[in-house]
Amino acid sequence: MIAFLAKRTVALVATVLLASFAVFLIPYATPGDPARKIIRSRVAGDAIDESAISSLTTELGLHDPLFVQFHRWLGRFLSGDMGLSYSSQTPVVEQVLPALGITLTLVVAALGVAVLVSLILGITSGLHEGRRTDRVITTVTQALIAIPEYWLAPMLVLIFAVKLTLLPSAGWVSGASLVLPVAVLAARPSSYFTSAVRSGMIEALDAEHVTAARSRGLSYPRTIMRHVIPNGLLPLATLLAVWFAGLLGGSVIVEVIFSIPGMGRLLYDAVLNNDIPVAQGSVVLVVALAVAITTMADLVHRTLNPLLGDNRA
Amino acid sequence: MFFKRRSAAAVALVSLLALTGCGLNGGATTSALTPDLNQRIVVDNFRAPVANWALESDAAYILSLSGCLETLTKFDQAQGKVTSSLATDWKQTSPLTWDFTIRDGVKFQDGTILTADAVAASLQSVLAAKVPARAFNPDVVSDVAAVDARTVRITTPSDSPLIPYRLASVNTGILAPAAYKDGTIDPFGHCTGPFTPVSEKPKQSLTLDRNENYWGGKVQLAGAEVRFITNGATRATQVQTGESDISLSIPVASLSTLEGDNNVSVLKADSPRTATLYMNNGKAPFDKVEFRKAIRSALDLESLANSIYEGAALPAVGPFAASEPWASPETAAPKQNLNEAKKLLSAAGYTATQPLKIVAIVERAEFGDVAAVIQQDLAKIGVPITIETKEYASVEPDLLAGNYDMVLSQRNRLIDIADPIGFLTADYTCKGSYNLSHFCDADYDKLIEQAAKTTDAKERYKLYANAGRILQDQAVNVWLVNEQAIDAVRTDVQNHVQDPLSRYVLTAKTSKSGS
Repeated sequence: MIAFLAKRTVALVATVLLASFAVFLIPYATPGDPARKIIRSRVAGDAIDESAISSLTTELGLHDPLFVQFHRWLGRFLSGDMGLSYSSQTPVVEQVLPALGITLTLVVAALGVAVLVSLILGITSGLHEGRRTDRVITTVTQALIAIPEYWLAPMLVLIFAVKLTLLPSAGWVSGASLVLPVAVLAARPSSYFTSAVRSGMIEALDAEHVTAARSRGLSYPRTIMRHVIPNGLLPLATLLAVWFAGLLGGSVIVEVIFSIPGMGRLLYDAVLNNDIPVAQGSVVLVVALAVAITTMADLVHRTLNPLLGDNRA
Repeated sequence: MFFKRRSAAAVALVSLLALTGCGLNGGATTSALTPDLNQRIVVDNFRAPVANWALESDAAYILSLSGCLETLTKFDQAQGKVTSSLATDWKQTSPLTWDFTIRDGVKFQDGTILTADAVAASLQSVLAAKVPARAFNPDVVSDVAAVDARTVRITTPSDSPLIPYRLASVNTGILAPAAYKDGTIDPFGHCTGPFTPVSEKPKQSLTLDRNENYWGGKVQLAGAEVRFITNGATRATQVQTGESDISLSIPVASLSTLEGDNNVSVLKADSPRTATLYMNNGKAPFDKVEFRKAIRSALDLESLANSIYEGAALPAVGPFAASEPWASPETAAPKQNLNEAKKLLSAAGYTATQPLKIVAIVERAEFGDVAAVIQQDLAKIGVPITIETKEYASVEPDLLAGNYDMVLSQRNRLIDIADPIGFLTADYTCKGSYNLSHFCDADYDKLIEQAAKTTDAKERYKLYANAGRILQDQAVNVWLVNEQAIDAVRTDVQNHVQDPLSRYVLTAKTSKSGS
């Protein structure tokens, strides 16, 4: 277990470093002077005074070699200083933390809904394998997998905000604001989770210990509750962690469409404005959180299934 | 707010003026109903402040449209002239100085009194910005000082009749001394306008309450919320559902839906933006006027406006929109004439050797399609074209250095002040700082030099019209389509006047009838 944790810690640090360096390179990967791009994001107007560009280049140390600049940023970051936003000149941490809180709320709510829906549909489907109910559920969930968020979101807005006027079309002001974005974000994981729960249920129903339990006289409902459902849910733990990590960074479209000031939108705006400190801070936090969560999920999985630990150790 | 359903009867009573496509002056909404002083209003704006309320940035526009920030003068779109605001009077006291008399009895929202000292300090901080605003920077203003308790003197490095226009720029908004601390700007409670900002949700919204002590009379709304919604479709949806009362900058795709909604008025006005095919006049084959004219004759601007812009833009008549007071009245949009284009090509001695390149900047998504249409049109006269899409900031140094053939871009002619002098100087004079076309004409420069010294607006506009005629005669660029500013307003909003530049949205007169 200690070796596993050590390996994962090294992987976490390496991933965060790589991701932050990749973000650091963004303004250099596209043609043009980074200082010019930064000034453009702050002040509208025509030709920018060359002296302003030169002054900003010196102020930000953009003349220094890339490695030196990255090293400087890393040193500050390790001491807890994410730097100042190029655009707003305010501490990055003041922008990143509130946005992270909003995205976490969104993701946790979406995954909560996805788990709830998948439990109901997956168990029902597994228990009715091959029958009409199973076919309907499978068809609907497969269709949801194929529907992109940028189509589903406007459709839900059209129905629930414009036609029925039941829910707000955008914003982040009340519980009602959560409903549509959560529904959009939950659609695809619900489908994947349902499929996983269904497969787990079918596999568990065919297991020898289930047959043995029935032959010992355990009632069907009790057998399902005690021996089938718990085993059918095992794959959910890993899937949840993977989706959690994916949605943390993958909620950009939903956040832009619904005007939600979360991490996705912050990162989107930061890249558009060449605000590298904000982009770096956002990416590092999201990547670190994603790696930490998948590590925890692996730990849970190994605890629930000790054989996995033995094999890997 | 959201679940509020408006009475159909009340809505039916609202009389509406939705003036569409009627020139640079925007449409307006009026109503015979009594305004409800307890109403609040929601405005969906298309941008969020990114520069921590720095006045040299777009944040100044947000503070101005929110009814917080006010300037010494104001540009009245309907009258087409500069009018008084925080200054009641102004005069040029010498070729290099202007004196502005500060309005008496004005208080900042923090209770302090508007004095000449406060105004001077505020304007000096605009001048001292690291990258100052184009409207008010050390190149055009050399000093700001309080002469006495009520007079502020602006000194310029050269004779400048346009100083009152510069002081109408939102970037020169006046804030109380307490707003400037440690190099940052805090507008909360420090404006003079009809609405006081009370809270901000970063990247989401700015909430404002009525300024009970507003110098300009009783404010007709209890408060407002300005939301920052970057997605155009969302802004359109919100005004349709009633979540917002005014949505600025409506995308073309949402136009037909909103125009069919009885509860929404769609307001349109010519914007000071013209999508332009810039040509590098300093480089062959564009250095020959016949070749440039051939390019212009080959393009079907009407079809471009109707297809890609879905009718929400008008074929451009030249460097100015037809409704602008400085546009030459006799000009019309050029018509496609392929035979004429071929003759001009022949006169220019052009033979197709290698394809010419059009750079379409990615910031305007439609430019990729526009470039494709131009490519097809030019193929008809035997001019091969390749298209490259690039981020503007990355291509700008090449444009300024003259290392390009053609670029699709668009400019706001009134980006700094409500007068095109800055645009005409920077973009087309021989020494212009933004002369992407690399055009140089002594007669044109003389006209602009003369205009810059002409105080009388009508005379100045005539000079601008003549300058525009030179640009069109020389086919310096092809001005493709003039875009329209499109806003949508709920019909229970009263006394709203559209501003194509979105500087003035919430005013003391803006009101809303009761539910």
